[in-house]
Amino acid sequence: VKWKKEATNELILKQSVQKFTNFCHPTLPCNVLKFKSTTIMLDCGLDTTSVLNFLPLPLVHSPRLSKLPGWISKDGTINLEKELKDCAGRVFVDSQPEFCLPERELLDLSTIDVILISNYHCMMALPYITEHTGFTGTVYATEPTLQIGRLLMEEVVNFMERVPKAQSATCWKNKEIQRMLPGPLKDAVDVWTWKRCYSMQEVNSALSKVQLVGYSQKVELFGAVQVSPLSSGYSLGSSNWIIQSHHEKVSYVSGSSLLTTHPQPMDQSSLKNSDVLILTGLTQMPTANPDGMLGEFCSNLAMTIRAGGNVLVPCYSSGVIYDLLECLYQFIESASLGTTPFYFISPVANSSLEFSQIFAEWLCHNKQTKVYLPEPPFPHAELIQTNKLKHYPSIHGDFSSEFRQPCVVFTGHPSLRFGDVVHFMELWGKSSLNTIIFTEPDFSYLDALAPYQPLAMKCVYCPIDTRLNFHQVSKLLKEVQPLHVVCPEQYTQPPLTQSHRSDLMLELQPPPMPYRRCSVLNLPFRRRYERVYILPELANSLVPSEIKPGVSVATVSAVVHSKDNKHTLQSVPKPPPVAPSKKRKRVMDEPPVVLAPKPLLSGAVPLEAFLATLQKHGITEVKVEETADGHILHLQAEDTLIQLEEDGTHIVCDNNEPLRTTLRDLVLRFLQKL
Amino acid sequence: MDRECVSLLPRVCEVLAASGSSLPDDTSLEKLLDWFTGLTKAGTSLLESCPCLLEFISTVVHNTALDPSILSFTLRLTGFVAVTEVAFKVLQESSVLDLVFNLQHWQEAGLWEDPCIRIGWIQGLRTMMQHPKALSFFVQADFLQPLLQLQTDKSLFVASAANQMLAHVLLSCQSVSSVGSNDVDEEGEDVGRSGGSIADLEYSAVTVETNQDYAAVVTAISECLKKSLVPRENTQLHQSLQILKLLALLLAQTRPPLWEKLLQMVADSVDELLVAGYSQLILPLMDVILAAYSSCDVNRRAPDQRVSRLLSFMLNIRKPADLIQAAAAFLRRGLHDLVHTAQSARVLLLPLDIITGLNLLTTTADEQRFLMMEQLKNKTSCISLICVCLTNTPQMTLMAADCLPCPPVLIVTAVLSLLKLCSGDSSSPSSSSSGCREVSRNVIGSSKVQKCALDALTALSGSPGVEVKLAEVFTLLVQCLDNPDSDPTVLQKSFQALVQWMSVCSDLSSITDQHRQDLLQVVRKRSCDIRWEVRDSTVEFLGRLAGVRVIQTTAEEASDASVAVLGGCCFTTPLLRAALQDTESYVRASAISALAQTLAASWQQGAALTQEQTEIVNQLLEVLSWDTEGFARRAVVRYFIAWLSSMSSHSCVQSPASSSLLMPSVRSVLSRGSADLDWEVKVHTLELAELLLDEAFSGQRGYTKGNPTQTHPYAVIPNTLHTRTHNEEDVVGVLNSLVQWGVVSALLSGLVDCDRPVALRACRLLITLREVVCPLSLGALDATAAMATVARVTCELPGCGWAREIRKMLVMKAKDANAEGGVSGGEVVNCDDCGEAGQEAASVGGQTPCVSVCEVLRSLDLDERLDVLTRSSDHVHNSPLSLLQDILTASSARSQPDTQQEVIADCY
Repeated sequence: VKWKKEATNELILKQSVQKFTNFCHPTLPCNVLKFKSTTIMLDCGLDTTSVLNFLPLPLVHSPRLSKLPGWISKDGTINLEKELKDCAGRVFVDSQPEFCLPERELLDLSTIDVILISNYHCMMALPYITEHTGFTGTVYATEPTLQIGRLLMEEVVNFMERVPKAQSATCWKNKEIQRMLPGPLKDAVDVWTWKRCYSMQEVNSALSKVQLVGYSQKVELFGAVQVSPLSSGYSLGSSNWIIQSHHEKVSYVSGSSLLTTHPQPMDQSSLKNSDVLILTGLTQMPTANPDGMLGEFCSNLAMTIRAGGNVLVPCYSSGVIYDLLECLYQFIESASLGTTPFYFISPVANSSLEFSQIFAEWLCHNKQTKVYLPEPPFPHAELIQTNKLKHYPSIHGDFSSEFRQPCVVFTGHPSLRFGDVVHFMELWGKSSLNTIIFTEPDFSYLDALAPYQPLAMKCVYCPIDTRLNFHQVSKLLKEVQPLHVVCPEQYTQPPLTQSHRSDLMLELQPPPMPYRRCSVLNLPFRRRYERVYILPELANSLVPSEIKPGVSVATVSAVVHSKDNKHTLQSVPKPPPVAPSKKRKRVMDEPPVVLAPKPLLSGAVPLEAFLATLQKHGITEVKVEETADGHILHLQAEDTLIQLEEDGTHIVCDNNEPLRTTLRDLVLRFLQKL
Repeated sequence: MDRECVSLLPRVCEVLAASGSSLPDDTSLEKLLDWFTGLTKAGTSLLESCPCLLEFISTVVHNTALDPSILSFTLRLTGFVAVTEVAFKVLQESSVLDLVFNLQHWQEAGLWEDPCIRIGWIQGLRTMMQHPKALSFFVQADFLQPLLQLQTDKSLFVASAANQMLAHVLLSCQSVSSVGSNDVDEEGEDVGRSGGSIADLEYSAVTVETNQDYAAVVTAISECLKKSLVPRENTQLHQSLQILKLLALLLAQTRPPLWEKLLQMVADSVDELLVAGYSQLILPLMDVILAAYSSCDVNRRAPDQRVSRLLSFMLNIRKPADLIQAAAAFLRRGLHDLVHTAQSARVLLLPLDIITGLNLLTTTADEQRFLMMEQLKNKTSCISLICVCLTNTPQMTLMAADCLPCPPVLIVTAVLSLLKLCSGDSSSPSSSSSGCREVSRNVIGSSKVQKCALDALTALSGSPGVEVKLAEVFTLLVQCLDNPDSDPTVLQKSFQALVQWMSVCSDLSSITDQHRQDLLQVVRKRSCDIRWEVRDSTVEFLGRLAGVRVIQTTAEEASDASVAVLGGCCFTTPLLRAALQDTESYVRASAISALAQTLAASWQQGAALTQEQTEIVNQLLEVLSWDTEGFARRAVVRYFIAWLSSMSSHSCVQSPASSSLLMPSVRSVLSRGSADLDWEVKVHTLELAELLLDEAFSGQRGYTKGNPTQTHPYAVIPNTLHTRTHNEEDVVGVLNSLVQWGVVSALLSGLVDCDRPVALRACRLLITLREVVCPLSLGALDATAAMATVARVTCELPGCGWAREIRKMLVMKAKDANAEGGVSGGEVVNCDDCGEAGQEAASVGGQTPCVSVCEVLRSLDLDERLDVLTRSSDHVHNSPLSLLQDILTASSARSQPDTQQEVIADCY
């Protein structure tokens, strides 16, 4: 039984709010999908590039940063000495750094039923969404995503709270004033929505709403759709999501990788047969091949150490750092760096290194097998054991007594605006022997370095982004063949700076449906059917009749019962016996009037046999005319027309009801009745 | 022929005729045939020396139940036996020949299906066909038809042999008929013969009838060529391919009357084939046309009109892939044909023109350009087309200027621009059109194209007038080297190209300081690369650069390129010293060679030693003692060889630098190197010892530099060798220093080494030494008198392995001498208690026994030893005698299976 449903399924794709209109992150997605009466938020990434407009938060008193001149407009009309500081030829906001939140005006966040998280980098805005907005839904994520996500949030909160700043700058956000400011502050968008970092309490509250799921586990949402995470190969516990109803399948691909790094490999086959594939989180660095970058990283590191300098690696405390450490583990011997100390400084360094070792089931096969040997899956355990890698919660305490140079320091935050990295920038920036190597692709390294200029230290930019590149994604899409692809607009044209690189864009047939920030798309679903269940007793009462071999048909009279997006056909309640009382019944109680259904006809009227029958009934003068769809029989004596067509028969007979009825009955003789 | 072999052969024949299955291994028959081939070539008549072969052949050929491999062997053997006319007659008279080559015989026995019988039949006939009688036999037996059929045999080997055979038959017919008709083309005589075989034909036997027979053969073959050339359907392409191969063979070797005839016959079919345009047949077709064309070229005949027309047709085919192939094939031949060469060049430059958007070609047919563009849009064919073009560019730039559509400089520009496209750095100027964008996108990131382009760029360095591009090439190569995505081979090729360009364009005035800085930076980075191959290429580059002489500016003197662009040792040496610590032994070895190349200049100039050099030498000696890999240790010995030879060629051995550092180090190298486990290290150590010998005795009478056996006994000895007079005191001094340096110990230890190359080299050097110090020619008594002083020079024989071995040899010699009643035996070894006990006592007592160098040299039977060592270690196993014995042993083992345990041979 197929039941046509007229309601449209609509998808609202809403990009996370971007500060710079020309600098959008399709890699920090925040989309909303309305599908089968459920509202699903896909990821809630936080755009942290806004912090680049703020002054760094030094861990120890910095005479340089404390003596910066305040900013006064050239004509002296605007004086924001307290809020804005002139530093290295640029103007920075002197307050606690603020983040750019996802768009909250387009949709009432309290209507969101669920949030699906694809990896720990794409959940940093969670407290802003779940707290103080009336959100009552559930967040689904895998265990490593939750645990490492918590670490990353905890780290940021810690970085901010460690160096409290009483002052909060707001005057500069005044539209009239902002217009007068120098770039890039002048061009920052939606600055009024920028918010300070959340507190640990908010983090805990937000994370308490997370429901853990495992790969391929199926979660029913209100009976309407089923969601299921699949391994995406990008980071520990990272997932793509399948969102499907009985007849439609939407795949959400975000931050996936086909490279052989530490996580479980990407599950591609389950993405097959999708009606719509939403594609986000491709590599931000399509021209930087991760292998090449890893090589650059190692050789620059070795070069600096050999020349007696220190290496600073601003990085997140989880993710690529595991691969970097693994690569260095193999490299340090060949580059004779065996005695050089490696320091990893982060409030969550210890937890991050330990967590990575315990999520065995989420690791690639190679690492999983090590667990059974038993051996720690990541070689950083050995580096720690042999004292080559040491980790500290901050530069204070043990670190300062054990610090030896030349050395390599891994520390956050990659924006260079807060965290222990600020201290090392101040410490090492003046010597050309030292090198800073950027490996995280999220921030423009020139912007990150801006408040530290002039800088003698060497800078090397080798962003390592293991997410899918255009070549890989084309291959993937050829393999999984979705009917339609929905992706950010940026993916459909070559990068602005390299307009000749037509290899750096998606070319598909049919072309992908692009979306931009705050746009709403209707998804093109071809099938519009609902599954309807039939109760056994009702099914028993059906009398099917075979209309052609293998196909039987029966008519059903039933009541449709819809609950939790499940539709069931139930028997029509028998009309209660007519009440003896003459009391007037309320209209509401009246059972539906059940009319005996008219029989359904099927079959075709054979021309020769029909003519013979007509003749038997005395109609002899019949002129047969062949038409495109069948025949027209002209009963000349009776001045009547009979149109015999494939899907209908018409008897045109004016003012002669008996004749019409006779003719009708004759026609009916040749047809089957249900 | 060896008498013993002759005596064994009849029994071997019996064994083979009885059953072939008991052969020691499946190569035995081939080895036997090789032996027969050798005998035949040496002019031995097989039938005369081994009459048993006739009986063997006639027995085997009747026994079709035998193993096919034996039958095939017999067929081929018959060819060898019948190679002389006399033997041929004997075989024919005993009616063996008819049966051996009777097709029906083999077909009826059901053996023809076996490809080894078919190939045996062809090869037997082919070997035999060296005289007119064999040719007549072939013609009269009507073997032509079956042979033509075999040409398309399903076995590739059979088909190819049949093709060769057909060509041989036709060429034989040509020679014989041309003699018969007295129509020898003087010029073409040598050309028309394949090898020397047909030259031996005896022409006198040719009669008019046979002449007609031969003409019929020629006609039949050419008819077949004509008929089978054009495939009826796609499945017959294989046949056409075979015919084309045959045709190419024939057109290259035949002379005018036949050549003309062949061409006449097949011209139409070739035309038809060309029009049909089978891509698989393009290269073979081109081979045919070019064979015909070069045959005119070589014989200095004017090119045939038909051939020229075919060639022009080929160079105008519509399918771009075929066109490029044809043009490349034409250029490879290097023919003197301006028109077609120019056309081929234009064809080959078209893809480069399209992809780079540079106007390399002033005019091209729009249709051709369009078709090429369409082809280039496909990634696979784009890459292969571009690679073919690139491979041919260097050759093009060397062509006459009027053949080339654009100057070589422009081609260099195009290659550079292609390399930029590959790295995704730039778009081609014409890429505004979407077609060009599609094309250039195909090469982005293709390391195959990059490698090809870099090879081309390296070769283009020698093209006329391209020096002006040096700075641009330099910049681009440094970018390639800096690119994080360049694969190791690309980096290696970039380094090679850089060295090549700098060595060709010796004027580096166009290289700016910025260029130098960039190169320094990139070399520094690559020397720390994560991939050892890259570190290795970088280190190699540093070494090779030091060997390139350049002129920096016109005012300055010539220096080496390493100094000119990298600032010389102060930059290079620290990098190379760091590379000595590399975990990969190849890198360490390359670093050591590069150090030698870098320091060569300072050695040659006799510059004063630096602290750094002393440290390097210590490091190297450490590598020689401790490195676990042979490569690095070999490189260390080569380093000292290079140092020593550069000093001796500049007569600096006596300079303070050498005396203070070089000679003590050489002493250590000799002692450590000769005790090494790696035989190559030991051979290199002996080379070092040889250098010292050369240095010590150069000009001394009796001293021949290098291999003593190489000098011919009657050779004129250059006067320079007599410049120094024979002075006994000198010799004593020199010999003493050789002993002190450890040369004599190194040679003696080498002599008893278990590795043959080591022992051989040591033996030769010891003979050289003996000839100059105490030649055997003097006779024992003379020697004692003349060498009285020299004999006093002694060397130590410590208690270690090799010395014990030498002592044993000396004792044996002494015992032999005593047994013969000689008196001098006791004096051979100074320590007169040379028994085992005596040696022990000597060692225990702390006294290392000493022996007279002269006496040792004279007593070691060096010449005998040299004789043994010169023979290869398997000379016994490889002799025909051993082969025959093996066959007999295997058969007897087979006949008594119970008594012999099966030996499973370990074939390695």
